[in-house]
Amino acid sequence: MDLDKFNRLLLESAGVGLALAEPQSLAVAFANHRFTEWFPACAEEATPLDELLTGLDVERMRSRLADDRPYRVELELKVGRRAMTVTVDVKHHIGDETDLLVVECQNITKLKELEYMVESYSKMVERQNRDLAKEKERVEKLLLNIMPRTIYEEWKEFGVTAPQRFDDAAILMLDFVSSTEMDIARDPPALVAELNDIFTSFDRIVEQFGGERLKTMGDAYMAVCGVPEPGPDDARNIARIALRMVRYLERRNPAQANQWVCRIGINAGPVVGSIIGVQKYVYDIFGPGVGLAARLEALSNPMEITLAEDLYERIRDDVTVRSLGECDIKGFGRKKVYTLEGMTDLALPRHDDW
Amino acid sequence: MAFYDRVLDSDILAPYFEDVDMRRLIDHQTKFIAFLMGGPASFTNEHLAHVHGHLGIDRAAFDEMIATMRETLEDFDMDDADVRAVIHELRVRAPWVISAPGDESRQASA
Repeated sequence: MDLDKFNRLLLESAGVGLALAEPQSLAVAFANHRFTEWFPACAEEATPLDELLTGLDVERMRSRLADDRPYRVELELKVGRRAMTVTVDVKHHIGDETDLLVVECQNITKLKELEYMVESYSKMVERQNRDLAKEKERVEKLLLNIMPRTIYEEWKEFGVTAPQRFDDAAILMLDFVSSTEMDIARDPPALVAELNDIFTSFDRIVEQFGGERLKTMGDAYMAVCGVPEPGPDDARNIARIALRMVRYLERRNPAQANQWVCRIGINAGPVVGSIIGVQKYVYDIFGPGVGLAARLEALSNPMEITLAEDLYERIRDDVTVRSLGECDIKGFGRKKVYTLEGMTDLALPRHDDW
Repeated sequence: MAFYDRVLDSDILAPYFEDVDMRRLIDHQTKFIAFLMGGPASFTNEHLAHVHGHLGIDRAAFDEMIATMRETLEDFDMDDADVRAVIHELRVRAPWVISAPGDESRQASA
């Protein structure tokens, strides 16, 4: 077998599409079986490359080849029913007697299809991740409504939270004296809307002074400062919150049909804070600090804030009070109690106090 | 995509796919198969009916598609149970994909 024939056979049987073209006219001098299958027009005599391969940038190809660099392009074509993607590599081959362009085409359809599939799947996963993140945000927001952020972070990380003792939490208990007398049968939705409105404003006040609303029970409202993060000004802040709540109601009531009259007890003392419940979580606090606040609230006159000597002694320089004398408080013995009337500094805390 | 190689080899199925944009088709098919296997995508039956309605697919073409899919999955050595699960999921969606009346006798035997 002569070498020419062998070479020709070798080229014919290759899996890639091969063609040889004349560098000036670009006329195809030889094309193997695969190339002819993909570009049937080359069967005609001396068809130029740029007519066969639509998408071939002749100018760019010539400039690359002139720099002795290969030229490569990706082409979409259709063979029978099939859409195909091929890469075309053109090299300039100059031998002793030959001066030819060698055109090599590879079928990369499968690679492309795989690429599309991976792209599609990764988009799907990306989208799912986005949805998950959104959902997570919603859940987080919901959970932050029922527990303080630091407790939430602990719960998220470890799956449980340890009950924690706070030696000096400042607690506020509020109840409405008048709401039981309101005619709830007349317009329950309006009443609920009003309560919602009031509690939302309370939440804002509590938040402004670095406190946490712990919970509401019916028309009762409970807030705390110094849980879970004790601060230097918790006792004074709970007094500020109480005064602002009363002031809010005093301003609100004149314009409204329903008169919301509250009673507030404030106290500072030891409590234990913990998430309670397995299926239905709630972050709650217990202990003598809470018990006394509740007793003081019950003692309170309408639209007044009651505190006992323990708290008063600590903030006496900053508050004005009216003494209510000594009271026998169940579970706590005899204590001097006071009505909080005002504060020298009712302003919002500076940011570095938070 | 071995499945589309077979599809284009099939005289019954090829006409439906001849002028299709492969990129879009692969995108849809990837999502659809992921969806059938419980993956992160979802297609409602109404959506299937909407995208297939204008194609005039008949029962013969649908069955051919099922057979082609089954062979493809088998040749990739997928677990028998998985193949059955995918084929079942495809079959139950026939009413929303088929929009042309087919040969009744074929329909009865299917």
